[in-house]
Amino acid sequence: MTITLVKKILQDGSPCAKCADVLEKLEQSGHMDRIDEILIADERDPDSPGLQLAREHQVNRAPFFVVEREGQAPEIYTVYLKFVREVLEQETSESDELKEIMKDNPDLDFL
Amino acid sequence: MTSELLNTVDLDDELQKASPQKVIEFALNEFDNIVVSFSGAEDVVLVHMAHQIRPDIKVFVLDTGRLHAETYRFIERVREHYGVDIDVLSPDPEALRDMVRKKGLFSFYQDGHQECCGIRKIGPLRKKLQEVDAWITGQRKDQSPGTRMGIPVIQDDKLFARPDGRLVKFNPLANWSSQEVWDYIRAMEIPYNELHDRGFVSIGCEPCTRPIGPGQHEREGRWWWEEATKKECGLHGDNVK
Ligand code: SF4
Repeated sequence: MTITLVKKILQDGSPCAKCADVLEKLEQSGHMDRIDEILIADERDPDSPGLQLAREHQVNRAPFFVVEREGQAPEIYTVYLKFVREVLEQETSESDELKEIMKDNPDLDFL
Repeated sequence: MTSELLNTVDLDDELQKASPQKVIEFALNEFDNIVVSFSGAEDVVLVHMAHQIRPDIKVFVLDTGRLHAETYRFIERVREHYGVDIDVLSPDPEALRDMVRKKGLFSFYQDGHQECCGIRKIGPLRKKLQEVDAWITGQRKDQSPGTRMGIPVIQDDKLFARPDGRLVKFNPLANWSSQEVWDYIRAMEIPYNELHDRGFVSIGCEPCTRPIGPGQHEREGRWWWEEATKKECGLHGDNVK
């Protein structure tokens, strides 16, 4: 299994706060060593490796994880807690995961 | 059915110029197992448009348990008027009970609406979307300037797709303004929620919705006690395309 994390640099050159938060959580939980590669999606550079990967998988947000297992189609995770639960197999509560989805997807406010 | 082959990014370029009716027609031609999300507000236009093309269109409502009585009455009116099957979805009782026991019935005034909306809306929504291949929402770019400018008309919904499957999301009203929606409701004499006549523009749950005055943006009628937060998780659209 290969895990790639894509983190984002904003148009103004500053790092994405959510990405920093996810990296910190990975560090704190000791899961950082499970990440094989970290790619940058630099909004100022459409050819940055992270943006190329986002295009390839039609992902429109960051951070996201690409999980590749031999003989299987790559899986994309845009919800950190879902990634933790399904890939890193750490217990997370469903309500925390739903809350994260709400926080990251303000467009769902109007449903 | 060609849905497996849809390239949503290219199609979005095309459908951005199409009318909502054309988008819905395309969606219904493409998918049999498709459902309309109805909030009990002005997105009733989706039910109307879809019903004209497919009279037995399936509709669902997220019943948070906190909607206005007027909204519940309106949902029933729509069900009777169009004779459509409306699946009224409730939150998971255990998750809800747990949250209310720990935090009470109005926790959103203290720590934001995301946890409550997560349990009351997103949980049931995610479960429902596991059953279908596509869904139609009333999301519009003008509902919340700044966060919705990039709303596609068609998109691959990776967030709610089954682990081994694909889910396509249609936002046929993405490019319509609130005014255009209302012009259509009036022209077609579509039934609407009576709260709209009392100053409510955007309608959600009773504790989180208030009427607004002239010149106020509809977003100001929802979760008004929360500070506007900067959304930065989306990747810049031009770069992703
Ligand atoms: S809109 Fe308010 S009451 Fe309704 S689910 Fe969200 S936070 Fe809870």
